[in-house]
Amino acid sequence: MNFTRRSALQLFAASSLLQFAPAYAADWKAIEAEAKGQEVFFNAWAGADNINAYIAWAGDEVMKRYGVKLTHVKITDTAEVVKRVRDEVKAGKADGSVDLVWINGANFKAMKTEKLLFGPFADALPNFALVDVKGKPTTTKDFTETTDGLESPWGMAQFTFFADGAKLPNPPRSMAELAAFAKANPGRVTYPAPPDFHGTTFLKQVLVEVTSDRSIFAKPTDKVAFEILAKPCLAFLDDLKPSLWREGKQYPKSQAEITQMVADGELLIGLTFNPNEPANLVAAGTLPKTTIAWQHSGGTIGNSHFVAIPTNAKAKAGAQVVANFLLSAEAQAKKNDLKTWGDPTVLDVSKLSGDDAKMFAASAVAGSVTLPGPAILEPDASFVPLIESTWLSHYAKG
Amino acid sequence: MKRTEKSWIPAFASMTGVGALGSLPILTLFALPLLASLFFSFEITFDRQAWQNLLAHPQLWSGLRLSIYTGAASTILALAAALLIIIGAYESKSWHNLPATMGAMLALPHLALAIGLSFLIMPSGILARIVANIVGWQTPPQWVTTHDPYGIALIIALAIKEAPFIVWVLAGFLNREDIRQKFVLQRAAAQSLGHGTGSIWLRIFVPQLMPKLIWPLVIVFVYAATVVDMSLAIGPTQPPTLATVIWADINSEQVVNNARGGVGAIFLSLALLMSLVLAWSFIIVTKPIWKNIMNAGPSTWAAPVFAGHTKLISLEVFYVLIAALLFFMSLAQNWPFPNLVPTASLKPWGTIFQNPNALITSIVLATLTSFTALSILLLWLEMMNQKTDRIILWLSLALLGLPAILVGLGQYRAFLRFGLTANMAGLFLSHLLPVVAYMAIVLVGPYRAIDPRFSATAKSLQASTLKFFIAIKLPLLKAPILSALAVGFAVSFGQYIPAQLIGAGRFSTLPIEAVTLTSGANRPLTAAFAFLLMLPPLLVYVAAARFGRSRWSNS
Repeated sequence: MNFTRRSALQLFAASSLLQFAPAYAADWKAIEAEAKGQEVFFNAWAGADNINAYIAWAGDEVMKRYGVKLTHVKITDTAEVVKRVRDEVKAGKADGSVDLVWINGANFKAMKTEKLLFGPFADALPNFALVDVKGKPTTTKDFTETTDGLESPWGMAQFTFFADGAKLPNPPRSMAELAAFAKANPGRVTYPAPPDFHGTTFLKQVLVEVTSDRSIFAKPTDKVAFEILAKPCLAFLDDLKPSLWREGKQYPKSQAEITQMVADGELLIGLTFNPNEPANLVAAGTLPKTTIAWQHSGGTIGNSHFVAIPTNAKAKAGAQVVANFLLSAEAQAKKNDLKTWGDPTVLDVSKLSGDDAKMFAASAVAGSVTLPGPAILEPDASFVPLIESTWLSHYAKG
Repeated sequence: MKRTEKSWIPAFASMTGVGALGSLPILTLFALPLLASLFFSFEITFDRQAWQNLLAHPQLWSGLRLSIYTGAASTILALAAALLIIIGAYESKSWHNLPATMGAMLALPHLALAIGLSFLIMPSGILARIVANIVGWQTPPQWVTTHDPYGIALIIALAIKEAPFIVWVLAGFLNREDIRQKFVLQRAAAQSLGHGTGSIWLRIFVPQLMPKLIWPLVIVFVYAATVVDMSLAIGPTQPPTLATVIWADINSEQVVNNARGGVGAIFLSLALLMSLVLAWSFIIVTKPIWKNIMNAGPSTWAAPVFAGHTKLISLEVFYVLIAALLFFMSLAQNWPFPNLVPTASLKPWGTIFQNPNALITSIVLATLTSFTALSILLLWLEMMNQKTDRIILWLSLALLGLPAILVGLGQYRAFLRFGLTANMAGLFLSHLLPVVAYMAIVLVGPYRAIDPRFSATAKSLQASTLKFFIAIKLPLLKAPILSALAVGFAVSFGQYIPAQLIGAGRFSTLPIEAVTLTSGANRPLTAAFAFLLMLPPLLVYVAAARFGRSRWSNS
């Protein structure tokens, strides 16, 4: 064997990783020490004041505990951040303006493919050991894209519908039932126009429900294959269109707009990715106490959302400390709490100590999901642009 | 040769005078960054693939049609309303307050007006609730009022927002002493020839006003045809206007879409330029026909003074109603249809005042930029020859006449290259550009209109330039300077794109807070922010109008 100095070093490095696993505890101490005094610019969607308040709380905590200053950079769309990091990296800006970003799906795939992310770092976070990687496979698989430690899971999501139970005692539990309901109540059901991701998810849900062999969604697709798949889906949408709000000639631009219209009574069914959002809105007084929430009996699309660190982040250590704190039992429990945000945890609660686990105990409240369905994995990311462009040329050409 | 090297400096100085120094601040803080932004706006013009993708976009032509048509229709409507208001108010009791009233209307942000208007007319809005309470509806009607496919709601909103601007420009012109005297003489002559008041406006006054309106109308048209926030709030959705399509592309995470959006912005600008050229040719070609109408014999047709008055009053009522509605909505936590009164809560205001940083940042930034802009403009005007004013005016018109999405992107690329993103300097400079542009347009005209005999008199009385400036010019120019400051303040206060792109969202300004919250459609909070976006500029306008009254015109 030709022993060079370099391979000896590599061997040493490998063995130290294998044999001295606690070594990273020391590494982590170093990261915490480096993080002290850093300012972390956390770019996160800021459309809900309860979420903004939660991030502000997390900021106070990491300042108290680790001396890290967390600044919430408020954005309307994560794609803004992808673009900004890309432009900055291209322009050779090493002290990037983004230290931590709330991300998943197509945005993550774009950043991962273009090598715009720092890491892998997620697996090395001390609190990552608490994550329910087995029971919640989407915590390491983001829209069929493996996370490879480039993003750290933050919360769970599953496509959920809601309505005022006083007006809708028997909610439709499948797309076919939803279409029947829309026909019986013309003009009172709709979905957001893609590329709003709730709109795209609605279309994915239709696609999944009208397709018998779901294994096809785990693999990348192309234009030709998709055209065949899309046929039954388009037939369903064509049939549904005349019964939609404004006869399907106009579509709301966001899920939040639909929620507001449900609250006003203009629409009968709302949709969300956060199963606890309806309960949260009941608690906030936006939706009535008679609100019900459900998922389709055959299951609905589910995924996770994450935080990631751009490759040109200035405060990488601080960002990791924040990501780790967001995974702590305390931070996850507070996020899970309906009174604050109601975003389901990524942790395996059974792994937690008794006191920590107790924080997650929830009682059924008005608006929480009473008819759950299993989570269905997101189709491969290659489906998204095809779904969006097909929908655009069929329903939005004008 | 060494000699030429040495001598060019005095040569330059003797050519332009020491006065050239006065141009330095505005050239470095305004012209240079602006030219860089314009250059980078067109950087991607020759991306072939992007053009192909753009031409294949299913919403390109329908979106373009909507953009041009909503832009043109709203501009024409706004012009008609403005002329009507001017005719109704001219030399009436309300004339004196007209600029102040219009200024106050200008303070209402476009987005706030769209939000307020939609809450008035949408199916679960106030009007529908009133009807429902009379007729007994339990669910909102299926009205197609907001987001209508023809863009009617958008056109109305734009026209209501732009009419005060046109009135404001016209009132400024009509208030000039020379114009007032000229009109008195012309009217006397026309009356003795047998023309009625309406005939005098149509045949004599309006033709003199129109040339003054060319650039304001171009700005209004381009603004209306490229507006994004208003179109998202109230405009057609499928297909949307082209500006909205471009905006979505520019904000996409896909590089391909970004490029398509980039050339889309260039395409839209060219299309608008072409429509303006077409409109201009139409006016030239049909000129003989206009002339014939204008030269037709005396008519006793009376001016629509009453209609003009009604228009003014209804506009005033509308703006007050929108402001009140926004405040009302900010308190409405839960408001099921068809209740007329919501369950009230002060929660949104609590959220705002818990963290007033955004409000403070915006006020400080607006104050700094408007005073900086004023100083560099005054330096320029004092030290430079009147002939060179056109440099600043053309640059300002280029900034305001090109779609904001195009220039915004170019500015971002330029600032990124020079390390001016995500820091205070970049934030300040990016807010300063539009402020200087608007203030230049407001200030240059009145400044140069000062009678040169004042300065000649002062010189013959041995007064220094500085003394003349402080003792004579500033008091004379008090009104235009204060209203320019108010305009600058309002312009800076409403900037979203620079705060998001150049400031990297790091500096929380009020528009950043308001726009990010709108994405969540939390209605009470959105309304509260819209109201707050209106309030400081409104107060500044009112103050400027109050203190700007000249000592002589009170009588």
